[in-house]
Amino acid sequence: MATEQPVIVGDSFALGYRFQRYWNASMASAFFFGELGAGLFIVSMFYGIVPGMIGGLVATGILKAYFHLAHMGVPGNSWRAMMRPDRAWISRGIIAIAVFVVFGVAHVLLEVGGIFGLELAVGGALPQAIKIIAVLAALGVLLYHGFLISHSSAISLWSTGLMPIVSIVYALLGGAALTAALGWNGLAVDVPEAMLSLHALMLILLAALAVVLFSLMYAALNGSPGARVSMNLLLKGPFARLFVPLVIGVGLALPLVLLLWVPATDVTSLIVAAAVLVGYYAFRVYIFKAGVYDPIMSFAPTHGTS
Amino acid sequence: MARYGMAFDLRRCIGCNACVIGCKQENSLPDGVFFTRTLSEEYGVFPAVNRVYIPTLCNHCDDAPCEKVCPSGATYTRDDGIVMVDDEKCIGCNSCAVACPYDQRSVMSKELFDNGLFGEGELTPFEEQGYVRFTPGTVTKCDFCSERVDAGLDPACVVTCPTDARIFGDLDDPDSDVSILIRERGGRPPLPEKNTKPKVYYIT
Repeated sequence: MATEQPVIVGDSFALGYRFQRYWNASMASAFFFGELGAGLFIVSMFYGIVPGMIGGLVATGILKAYFHLAHMGVPGNSWRAMMRPDRAWISRGIIAIAVFVVFGVAHVLLEVGGIFGLELAVGGALPQAIKIIAVLAALGVLLYHGFLISHSSAISLWSTGLMPIVSIVYALLGGAALTAALGWNGLAVDVPEAMLSLHALMLILLAALAVVLFSLMYAALNGSPGARVSMNLLLKGPFARLFVPLVIGVGLALPLVLLLWVPATDVTSLIVAAAVLVGYYAFRVYIFKAGVYDPIMSFAPTHGTS
Repeated sequence: MARYGMAFDLRRCIGCNACVIGCKQENSLPDGVFFTRTLSEEYGVFPAVNRVYIPTLCNHCDDAPCEKVCPSGATYTRDDGIVMVDDEKCIGCNSCAVACPYDQRSVMSKELFDNGLFGEGELTPFEEQGYVRFTPGTVTKCDFCSERVDAGLDPACVVTCPTDARIFGDLDDPDSDVSILIRERGGRPPLPEKNTKPKVYYIT
């Protein structure tokens, strides 16, 4: 019977759990900006908020790319990351980002052209096709992050089908919160029903986030030993001091309270957006920090069956 | 074509770490980088206490997760089953490192080569001749000393082991020492639940 030994042995020559130390805050930032940018673009596009679409493209196309390159050991070879879309989620993601940025920029140019009454030499179904491709690529960007880490069987905490769902919910929630903050002046004054629907969307996404986060916690605490160790680190261990207040308190409870019981103003919209983003970023950082490798002990004389 | 693998006889391993030193010398590994480790754990209650040693290295999995996640195609498997890394193609994204359930990848950060073993910014002649094989910023790993294997020799850790606790050979040859040992004494792969089909077995 294998014995669970929740001992983090660091880099020593001892048997036990080891922290993953290969993806750090820089990679967490890349995940955060990549997902947030795609989510912001999709929601902003739906509500016609051009600054939101531009912000989404900047977040994914520039900030995510910067943090990825900062993390990479050989940034000069980064183009090679697209070489294996047949098997690697990173390659698929990079291609989705490239398509998203190209078609997203094209769509924004068409939108801006429309705002200024410019006659662009584009007609027929092409603008609609560009819009659809941009949205599909943005969805690809949203999804690949979740699939990328959920396919990592090495880190039990990440190896769950809930990760892509967390990515979608967080990205759309962050996008909705930022769209409400960026588009307050336009939407609240000119299209109040649009702002109401945006608030309803945020409430639905917050409820979904609560379900997904607590499902993730429950699954980890009742899952494999490695996942249990990681979740205990997040909820009771050294990471709990920041993970619980930031992810659950600031990122989930505070926006819920503000949206349900505080009258909607431009200031509350900004606070809601800031709170959601703080919780989202903290989640990304601490999920990376708490990832551990399982010890190789199922066959050891102390733990094995011999 | 052979399919190379290794077996660790845990009853023989005395935890001397000669394999670790042999590996570091053979591969000119920088400070803090290990392609093989001998992990240990104490167990029991005084006075009946003991210590177990678990040697580890890359398991050269048949279904290598590091190869599947590599976005640049830098990680590949040779026909003889040895999982290799092509430095020229590696982008240093570390995705292989987080995909390996055995934590057997090593990041060759630029600082390792700048500081040298003595941390004074000056490399010894040993380091100078050895570090040329690495590309700073890439991720690398044990390759079963592929150059030695190609020359018909055993990996450095195997020949260094004073107790013959490491047995290397062709897993597809039923008459090889490693195949006989695994068959007769029930070799078990590490973390079989990860479904990586390792080519390294532990004999208890």
